[in-house]
Amino acid sequence: MSRHVAIVGVGQTHHARRRTDVSQAGLVREAVDRALADAALSIDEIDSIVVASGPVLFAAVNQPEKWVVDAVGARCKPVVRVTSGGGTGLAGALAGYYQIAGGQAERVLVVAYDKLSEGALQYSISTLYDPFWGREFAVGIMGFSAAYWRARMDVLGHTEEAAAMVAVKNRRNAISNPYAHVKQEVTVEQVMQSKPLAWPIKLLDVPPISDGAAAVVLSCEKLAARSTSRPAWIRGMGYFCEADNAASRSMLVSEPLAIAARRVYRSAGITNPRRQFDVVEVQEPYTCFELSYYESLGLCAPGEAAALIKSGATLPDGDIPVNPSGGCAGANPIGAAGLIRLIEAAAQVMGKAAGIQIPNARLALAQSGGGWANLRGVAVVSA
Amino acid sequence: MLATPDCLPIDLAPLASDLSMPYTLTPGPATGVFLAEIGRRRLVGSKFRTSGRVVVPAQDFCPVSGDSKFDLVEAPHTGTLTGFTETAAGLIALVRIDGTDEDFAHRIVGAGYADLRTGMRVAAVWADGIENSILALAGFAPAPGAPVGTVRPLVDPAKAVASIDYRMDLHYEHAFGPFYGRLFDEIRTNRRIMGVRTPDGEGALLPPREIDDISHRPTGTWVEVGQTGTVRAMSIINLEFVGQKQPPPYIYAEIMLDGASTRLIHTVSGIDMKRAKELVKPGTRVRAVWRDTRTGSLDDISHFEPIPAAPDGGGALTPGPSAAERKSGT
Repeated sequence: MSRHVAIVGVGQTHHARRRTDVSQAGLVREAVDRALADAALSIDEIDSIVVASGPVLFAAVNQPEKWVVDAVGARCKPVVRVTSGGGTGLAGALAGYYQIAGGQAERVLVVAYDKLSEGALQYSISTLYDPFWGREFAVGIMGFSAAYWRARMDVLGHTEEAAAMVAVKNRRNAISNPYAHVKQEVTVEQVMQSKPLAWPIKLLDVPPISDGAAAVVLSCEKLAARSTSRPAWIRGMGYFCEADNAASRSMLVSEPLAIAARRVYRSAGITNPRRQFDVVEVQEPYTCFELSYYESLGLCAPGEAAALIKSGATLPDGDIPVNPSGGCAGANPIGAAGLIRLIEAAAQVMGKAAGIQIPNARLALAQSGGGWANLRGVAVVSA
Repeated sequence: MLATPDCLPIDLAPLASDLSMPYTLTPGPATGVFLAEIGRRRLVGSKFRTSGRVVVPAQDFCPVSGDSKFDLVEAPHTGTLTGFTETAAGLIALVRIDGTDEDFAHRIVGAGYADLRTGMRVAAVWADGIENSILALAGFAPAPGAPVGTVRPLVDPAKAVASIDYRMDLHYEHAFGPFYGRLFDEIRTNRRIMGVRTPDGEGALLPPREIDDISHRPTGTWVEVGQTGTVRAMSIINLEFVGQKQPPPYIYAEIMLDGASTRLIHTVSGIDMKRAKELVKPGTRVRAVWRDTRTGSLDDISHFEPIPAAPDGGGALTPGPSAAERKSGT
């Protein structure tokens, strides 16, 4: 029987397009200091540390967990680095969750970051393709994502207009998020007319490139009350994968996300996600992803995502708010993005989401993942 | 027991893959001042307030306590050799600068391996004309009897270097193995695209592989797949990025070749790009156009082009280039 695990402290940097005032280690430290302060703990009270960051080619430092040891207080403590594409942040949280649930640690600090201004992003991402088979034609993950969005249009009706509504919603929400750095309202027309980068993906469908870090303090049940009277309890968390070039892969829906959602919903007692969740945070590298997540997460049936965004139900005052933080549209330090989604979901049920608080939020869903459909995870947190 | 491929292994030289990645790295406030000052021939360290430890080059975080509160100090140019080794790049040493608490790794200049002893006194040797780099310090040379220096507060510090240009050149040699070996040898030699049958014999896996991804059973025999196929997904690339192989605009496509049950990533061209959205869609039929050059890679296929619809099909497809145009290697 695994133990209960709570999020007792959260912290993130004020994300930016480029931070030249701090190194990677300094960036990470800001998030760590904020999470520890939020949990009313010192680093001495942390048993174990997980460092989560994107591919080393993003910022040219191999084994960065060694470089940031002093900054994250990991000296003479267990430390592991977790990396899993875009889903790195949530995968890191899962590694910390396992340590406490399995009784190996009482408190774990999970810190996730990327300093994307330092390297060549799309070139770096293109190296995740097979060097023999496809890398020479790869356009980061953008070409691939755009191509299958195009395919989804015909089958699932995920139109350019529907994705533009996601951009309008998330960019407006980001204005109220103190940690976001892109804060500009846009209209559907502006999104539709923005420069095509990998059509159908256009400039305003794309999140910024960001420098940023995020950290959470996870605690066992017994010690949670030392930090806060209102932790976010992790009701379930999972992360699933699929074979990349297996025969007859549909590519139109993310099977790993559907599996992750089904498993985690079962452990969290979720039978009607749209009715039960008070708020949802998803990691949408491009706007088209959010439409797909609506369907895989069971917020609507396949083929109904365009109608769901159009209905306004996912606005902050709708019945199932999605990304009141603005999601990746407000800031996208990739390795941290999944942990930021978890932090935003936790902050909602802890009642400390300030300007973006959904009133009376008690049950929240966070989603994260890497690749177009390959790696997907979800977490359910409750008050 | 695993089935062996029904061909002799193809002995191809490994695929050379060179990555050249540009970076703009941020050293942070402490190391930023160290880099700014080293061209002025000053060695800057951090003195951490709670532990009292002095570290050169200056760091943001204390190696003992993780403390972030420090004062910048100027370290002397002398120290003691604590360790050394000879490498292809010369003599590398650990030097404990006088008054500091951590070793500083750098080169030894003006001495041979046999001249060195741990515990000997050394002094900094400066390079000319180098700024914002640890190489502004050429290294350390033996300095018998050099007086022991002291660490002093840093007076009038230079502004921290905010960003350092850097490039990482990575050279890889990827082994083909028997399956990729035959695939690319067939592409180069016979202009055939070969897959292997799935364990149940339905369709072919491309690229060919030893084990089926889903059933984990050995794959079947080799089979040639078509040079025609169907676009599964497509995107019009206008984005420009570092490392891009061809100038935009072009069409990125995921194509299912006839007879294959997995996808191939390539480009579609030979069309009026202004009408790309209507001419290339999921479901569009395409065929491979080969280059005249034979390198044994997917790039031997110049691109895919739409197959004109049959006269009675009423399709909106334009004809591809003529054979002569194709031969010219578009």
